[in-house]
Amino acid sequence: MHLRAFLLSALRSATSGGRRYHLWMGGLTVIMLAGGYAYLEQANHGLVVTGMNDHVSWGLYISNLAFLVGLAAAAVILVLPAYILKDVDFSQAVLIAEGVAVSALVMCLAFVMANSPGWPWKWWRLAPGVGLLNWPDSMLAWDVILLNGYLVLNLAIPFYILYSHYVGREPLKRKYVPFIYVSVFWAVSIHLVTAFLFSGLTARPFWNSALLGPRFLASAFTAGPAFMILLLGFIRSNSEYPISDSAISKLATVTAVAAQVNLVMLLSELIFEFFTPTHHNISARYLFFGLGEHDALVPWIRTGIALNVTATITLMIHPLRKNPRVLMWACAALFLGIWVEKGIGLVIPGFIPSPLGEIVEYAPTWVELWVTAGIWAMGMFVLTVLVRVALPIELGVLRSPHLEDSQPYRVVRPRSTRTRYPDVRPVRKR
Amino acid sequence: MWTRLVNGVVCLAVVGIASGCVDEQRPERETAALAADTGLTDIDLAVAAFNAQRQPGELPTVQAAPVDRWAGPGARPFEVAVRTSKQEAGHPRRFGSITLETALRIRPVSQYPCTSCHFGRTVVMTDDRIDDAHQNIQPVHPEETGALCSTCHSADNVERLALAQGEPVTLTESYRLCAQCHFQQAEAWAGGAHGKRLDGWQGRRVVMGCGDCHDPHSPAIQQRIPFRAPELERARTTHE
Amino acid sequence: MSDDGNSVTPDGAEDGTVLQKPVDRRGALGMLAAGVAAGAAAASACRPLNAATPEERELRVLEWQEFTQKHYRRMTDAERAETIQRIERLAKIRHDEDVTIATTDAQPGVLFGYAFNISKCKGYRNCIEACINENNLDRASDTQYIRIFEMEDGGINLEEADATYQHEVPAEGHFYLGTQCFQCANPPCVPVCPVGATWQEPDGIVVIDYNWCVGCRACMAACPYWARRFNWAQAEVPLNEVNPNQHYLGNRARKKGVVEKCTFCIHRTRKGQLPACVAACPPGARVFGNLLDPDSEIRWVLANKHLFRLKEELATEPRYWYFSD
Repeated sequence: MHLRAFLLSALRSATSGGRRYHLWMGGLTVIMLAGGYAYLEQANHGLVVTGMNDHVSWGLYISNLAFLVGLAAAAVILVLPAYILKDVDFSQAVLIAEGVAVSALVMCLAFVMANSPGWPWKWWRLAPGVGLLNWPDSMLAWDVILLNGYLVLNLAIPFYILYSHYVGREPLKRKYVPFIYVSVFWAVSIHLVTAFLFSGLTARPFWNSALLGPRFLASAFTAGPAFMILLLGFIRSNSEYPISDSAISKLATVTAVAAQVNLVMLLSELIFEFFTPTHHNISARYLFFGLGEHDALVPWIRTGIALNVTATITLMIHPLRKNPRVLMWACAALFLGIWVEKGIGLVIPGFIPSPLGEIVEYAPTWVELWVTAGIWAMGMFVLTVLVRVALPIELGVLRSPHLEDSQPYRVVRPRSTRTRYPDVRPVRKR
Repeated sequence: MWTRLVNGVVCLAVVGIASGCVDEQRPERETAALAADTGLTDIDLAVAAFNAQRQPGELPTVQAAPVDRWAGPGARPFEVAVRTSKQEAGHPRRFGSITLETALRIRPVSQYPCTSCHFGRTVVMTDDRIDDAHQNIQPVHPEETGALCSTCHSADNVERLALAQGEPVTLTESYRLCAQCHFQQAEAWAGGAHGKRLDGWQGRRVVMGCGDCHDPHSPAIQQRIPFRAPELERARTTHE
Repeated sequence: MSDDGNSVTPDGAEDGTVLQKPVDRRGALGMLAAGVAAGAAAASACRPLNAATPEERELRVLEWQEFTQKHYRRMTDAERAETIQRIERLAKIRHDEDVTIATTDAQPGVLFGYAFNISKCKGYRNCIEACINENNLDRASDTQYIRIFEMEDGGINLEEADATYQHEVPAEGHFYLGTQCFQCANPPCVPVCPVGATWQEPDGIVVIDYNWCVGCRACMAACPYWARRFNWAQAEVPLNEVNPNQHYLGNRARKKGVVEKCTFCIHRTRKGQLPACVAACPPGARVFGNLLDPDSEIRWVLANKHLFRLKEELATEPRYWYFSD
């Protein structure tokens, strides 16, 4: 009874909104449709319609996978303090972080599908029992398990909490906190395993580095919170949902620290590669300086590094970080910079030159770009729906119609406020 | 091409020697008789039959053919000093022998068998005679090594080669001649690192002889244009 | 094969017997496959049904069976026979090809090894030509398993080497080094496969079940010798150039979206023949044989020649050695 009502009101909440909302969702739908068409194109003709080839056999799709797994993992930055360390500042934002994780995971799985097209049901060969999952040997098998498990965790925990609130119950800690603990370790492991997917390959010296896993974490904990700041900033200025200043400033601090760690690791990689040049650094040389006339990625990676460095320095300066406008721009630059560096900037040079020294460069085709855009639109669509459902419930606006008391708890704002959006804590009424 | 060789062998084309044409029906009895008359072995006859059919200048490439049909009478143990796997301290080399079979000689002797001119006579072998009648021969090898015609060829029987000690050998057994100087190559050839095994890795070991790849008078492998190069940027030419 | 071709006539009775099969298979595959089945069936239902001639219906059934086919290594002998029959029939229907597909297993006591003489190779590329013809490689994109690198005398540097030379060979001051799949004893491409579609056979050949491969290309990223190729589109081989002598794990038709590789010509070598590249090499730079046979040529080379392998430091243990005179 409640569940049906929940789903119905969720649907209603997700499909109703102002003009801007419908424009946004309509726009996303159009991009998704275009992406779907491009996907059909490559499903019918094969990956020959992409820019990939026998030399550069992974491209834009796996690049995005590497980045988005990080975005998904970064939810732990809010989950850990909010649920386990009882950080009140993050208690409002944590559900949104989990929404980001879910949407990022949806995108990850979609990119895995897009990377080896044909119809998605061919993946039945992974299914336990009838299929053959090459576990524990294959890092990709680990990744499949971990990504799906993390998706389930990040759907189940918020669902339980939201549903409890929806039906006017206090969620029982003993029911969800164990899963929170699991999800904390899970988050770290999904990203480490994705890094191992690359770093375990001795064939590709560019990835074959022990630092890759930590670098993945550092960049994830930079890009993830940066994205959360952008999202929370948007939610704060467009809804009643109380996001405290201190939540944002804490996130900004986390981002600033992680960004610096990330840069330090990048620096050590660069020193490692270039101080004593060996055969192993040839991919890095291709990436940062180009090999002869082959230098397609040089402007790309330099832009990424420039964005990263500028944004990191900005975040390191306290007055700048505390200025909301500057903070937003810095976070956007950081997010983009890491996408550039960790996506294409990481995956493509691994293939150039080939293990036999041949150089074939890579550039995505329109089909790839559209499929990628479509998947990103799908992720944003999912995220919007999730936020759209979660916010009214958490605000206490959306309640099960079957409740006798339709106002089980209300949001109480303290009278004296130092800032526009003060810290608030929901006070539950028994 | 090999199938053609096989045909040649099977046909026992005796007539090929004299006329260059193949007579499949000729009975074996006559073959033996002819062989007895001319002093040629059936190896020589089969080789000549094959040579009558192949394209001049063609490099041997190998296609699958049942090894049984290779049953050339050229098969005989070739003893060569080889290192065996039982290497011991103080005895870096041990000696053993490898048995193998050589394929029939597949490069043409020349347009005509030697006996069509040099029949029954002892040949006078001097350098200037090459220019007289053997202009197709490029004597790079003798020029470089200072060898004379008689270093390798038997003056008494022009169809035969002569080993250093005078023993005559057939052209198919030319490896015995070559091995006198090129003992390292011969060792590698007998072991399997040099030369070329025919047909299969399993079963009888039939290998090509020296003359199958090397022109004995100009043994270096010639330059030529290779098969098409791979394209790095593989543009797909679809039928769409 | 031609019997097969004739057995399906446009009459419904024959069709009915063919249509019985998926039911059995579905039962065997269990519930989960049934769920997947429903999805796939729904998708195939989207195709125009009106165009269903008996042959098209048969094709659909065969394609369905192909889709739900078991992993090759889990098949019983009967299932293998059935699979082979289906693939041969599919080749007939799709491309009008009469092919014979073997499932010959590894011979006991055989482990294949390969040696390449860098001082003998003249760079003619006859091996590549033979490989293309023997293994039914895609002509449209000119897929090649073998690379011959032209290197300057004095050192082996793959980055400086050139595989695209097109001039008279052998070139002065250069030598030639060929690569292909080395059938490593410790193949990095095998463990990375998420679905176990690639494995090493007892005779050392690393093979792929093309019907099981999902096309993620993790193996291509993992191979340090760039030995694997992907079917970016449907491979095309002119009908008159198809080599009908095929092996399930070797040179049979590959689908679009799967990985393929050199198998030391598994369809030849398991019958005692030499790989096509060895047979075609004019100067005899390639030595092939059974590593477990102490009298084999490959063993002689290993015992008597100075050898090296590519990227030894990766501990892949290729069963492919280079030597020189």
